[in-house]
Amino acid sequence: MRNVLAKGAKWALIGAAASAMAACSDVSEEQAGNGENTVELAEFPDRPYWGDTHLHTDNSVDAFGFGVRLGPEDALKYARGEEVTATTGAQSKLARPLDFLVIADHSDGLGATRRLYDAPRLGVQAMGDETMLRWYDMMHESPEQSQRAVGEIISRAAVGQLPDAMTDRAANEEATRTIWEAHLDTLDRYNEPGVFTAFGGFEYTLMPQGNNLHRVVMFRDGAEKTKQVLPYPGLSTSTEGLWDYMAAYEESTGGEALAIPHNSNLSNGLMFELTKPDGGPMTAEYARKRARYEPVVEATQIKGDSETHPFLSPNDEMAGFGVKGWDFGNLPLNLPTTDAMQAGNYIRSALKRGLTLEEQIGVNPYAFGMIGSTDSHTALATGDEDNFWGKHTGNEQAIEDRAIVAQNLGTRTGRFGWHYLAGGYAAAWARGNTRAEIFDAFKRREVYATTGPRMTVRLFAGFDFSEEDWDGDWVRRGYTNGVPMGGELIDKDTAPTFLISALKDPDGANLDRVQVVKGWVDAFGNVREKVYDVVWSDMETRALSGGKVPAVGDTVNRLDATYTNDIGAAELRAVWTDPDYLIADKRAFYYVRVLEIPTPRWTLFDAVRFGITLSDEAMADAVAQERAYSSPVWLKPAPAEGE
Amino acid sequence: MIPDTSRWPAWTKEPLIHFLILGAVLYALFAWRGEPVDPASRSIEVTREDQAQLSLGFERIMGRAPTDAELDRQVDKYIREEVLYREALRLGLDGNDAVVRRRMAKKMDMLAAAQAETAQPTDEALKEWFEAHPERFGDKSRYTLDHVFKSEIDGAKAALRALNDGSSRDDFRKLGDPISLPQSLSEMPRKEVLDRFGERFLAEIDALEPGDEWQGPIASGFGWHAVRLTARDAGEVPAYETVRQRVENDWRNATIEERKERGFEILRDAYTVEIAE
Repeated sequence: MRNVLAKGAKWALIGAAASAMAACSDVSEEQAGNGENTVELAEFPDRPYWGDTHLHTDNSVDAFGFGVRLGPEDALKYARGEEVTATTGAQSKLARPLDFLVIADHSDGLGATRRLYDAPRLGVQAMGDETMLRWYDMMHESPEQSQRAVGEIISRAAVGQLPDAMTDRAANEEATRTIWEAHLDTLDRYNEPGVFTAFGGFEYTLMPQGNNLHRVVMFRDGAEKTKQVLPYPGLSTSTEGLWDYMAAYEESTGGEALAIPHNSNLSNGLMFELTKPDGGPMTAEYARKRARYEPVVEATQIKGDSETHPFLSPNDEMAGFGVKGWDFGNLPLNLPTTDAMQAGNYIRSALKRGLTLEEQIGVNPYAFGMIGSTDSHTALATGDEDNFWGKHTGNEQAIEDRAIVAQNLGTRTGRFGWHYLAGGYAAAWARGNTRAEIFDAFKRREVYATTGPRMTVRLFAGFDFSEEDWDGDWVRRGYTNGVPMGGELIDKDTAPTFLISALKDPDGANLDRVQVVKGWVDAFGNVREKVYDVVWSDMETRALSGGKVPAVGDTVNRLDATYTNDIGAAELRAVWTDPDYLIADKRAFYYVRVLEIPTPRWTLFDAVRFGITLSDEAMADAVAQERAYSSPVWLKPAPAEGE
Repeated sequence: MIPDTSRWPAWTKEPLIHFLILGAVLYALFAWRGEPVDPASRSIEVTREDQAQLSLGFERIMGRAPTDAELDRQVDKYIREEVLYREALRLGLDGNDAVVRRRMAKKMDMLAAAQAETAQPTDEALKEWFEAHPERFGDKSRYTLDHVFKSEIDGAKAALRALNDGSSRDDFRKLGDPISLPQSLSEMPRKEVLDRFGERFLAEIDALEPGDEWQGPIASGFGWHAVRLTARDAGEVPAYETVRQRVENDWRNATIEERKERGFEILRDAYTVEIAE
């Protein structure tokens, strides 16, 4: 009898908790929706809004296993600028708050490791899966064992061998729905038009044979609409399935969604193929779908930078940032990367492939803009070198030698702490800080990537810009007489001209140079690329030598991880006309790359803070030139008569 | 005999304590699947309720009821675990296990926090909270200023002199070096000033007295600025209605922390702790 009563009391408690949680979703209409008609909008996008579109919390299978115990609410508070206690104990705060955040927990097994961990051991036992039980025990044994368990989970997921109980959608659906809905309510509570935007989203973790085809899916809408779907699973589905899911969401709710591919550098050539995934020829229909649902890619994040590779761009001496350690194998390192795969791994070559495909089939599947993000698994959206909290809780700042120890998922060869970057940020040119405005900026590709610093980058393309434009309201001129980054310009048989401005991060390093990266298809159908130094600091003293701009110099003190802004410039501006334009060329893209002067990487800050001696290799990589990548502008031929 | 509760210490009337005690009792009850475990006892009774629970657990995971054989296996496993668990308790293994200790301590924290996590505060309570902590919601300072940017300090000093002796008061916009920053800010929110001009500029601006004179030059990450700070509104605290959700978030987080701390302090007070020198 006592037992029965006690059980009743227990269920009553849980029931009360559940109903009270449901009541928490009582937020204002402004906060709950997409933010349309809630704030006064600027006439033109007047400033970049800063965000991270790729953050994991304890609802992610791997993040939880790696030890994070901070959830979405902590993540939102942190991104808004509040101080949060990191899982490993120390206080942490962003020097400058972010404007928006997409919490992108893995759709596969959303909350599953947390559920596995919280489950009674008997329950796990009852499932009759020895592997899951072993993982359960490892997760409870120690943080090290917990990380090892997650390494195994990722490796098994990579080769499609997860226990049925973890992938069975029907069995997990109820649990997933509970977590998803509570999460969406939390987002609405923290979404504040004009101040801070919290997007609904998830990570789609497609990974055939361990080759990374991950996407972050981001919704324009509030919980009322996003609750009508569940996060789409990545394991054992296809990208076309994902786009169909997104189309169905848009159709049934009237909302909008987009997907952001990331870590193409770990895809072993599969992210940007010239064919369809099944090897068949690329079709216009497939290309159109991809272009529609994937307008932006993530160019840089903790697990390396995907702009380009020295192998692909041998004449670009600034290529190769964030490539080391990532370019010889896929995510779990179960398959090596060959040279032939690299062209499908990097963004610049994908943009070129897009031009080629458009020549062939009339549609460009790879006409995307670029952003940066963190992919942090600590619930802390930190992209700053001097405030790096690690890829996951297993290498937060509490682990003082994290820069030099092996950091692999599953295996123990090849990748070390110092290979990781501190993570980047996304900048969106929007008219106001709302879900609708920032989402729409992504959709029209008026966004750019940085490797962490917050430089302000403007790019307008047109045919009649001139130096005099700087004297007036040049932003208005840019919008009214041209197209901004992400836009398309119709060829007028004359060389296009660009208004380019890069303003340094006010609290960061000076700028070294601004470059334009051009890719084009020439009259003979060859696809080519060229990097132009457009404007750089101290141009009068840094004269071209052998056609190249001399290095800007290096003020970094390796002993105390400091630098000075004695070199470089606060702002670099140029009106630039393509000197190699030929009427006979078919089509082209142009994007801007901005380089800072050399600054210490997080590894050097660690070495100084914790008294760690970096290996020679790590030390050689402890100083870098951080950068920004604008979304491209495309130059397209005028449609032929009758089209 | 009915005890005279009025003479009991005040903390015994604290609802939180009632909750904690109730929680502790419940926790002890549920610590092992609802069975109050006496490590000294060597008799195990698997009741019909226990079997139903095992069956339910199986069903929840597998999506179907167990067969008789499967249920028997569950019962066997249950007995095995129960025997080993009790023996482990008898050996005091729970006390030496850092993971068990941490988990149980964490569960006590969660018990203390659970009420605040689910409570629906009244508007009165939130208003009270809002009025007690206006600074948390009133970070809406706004800045109205003009500035002239110079990359070198000497240029900024010269510009400042020219502006203040009246010779170029009207065309300050033409005096500066080119930079892509707005030259006049009209009631710009503090965060936007921070985003656009940086920490150093903001700190310098905060040290100035608003007025009609040009002041400075002050430094930013870009260079030097002669500044005419016409107004710095401390920012009225926004109306409660416009920030209600933020107040509730803040109240909830703070209350959870406070409950954990108060709950701990009350428990902690009952202990004598000696730390050897």
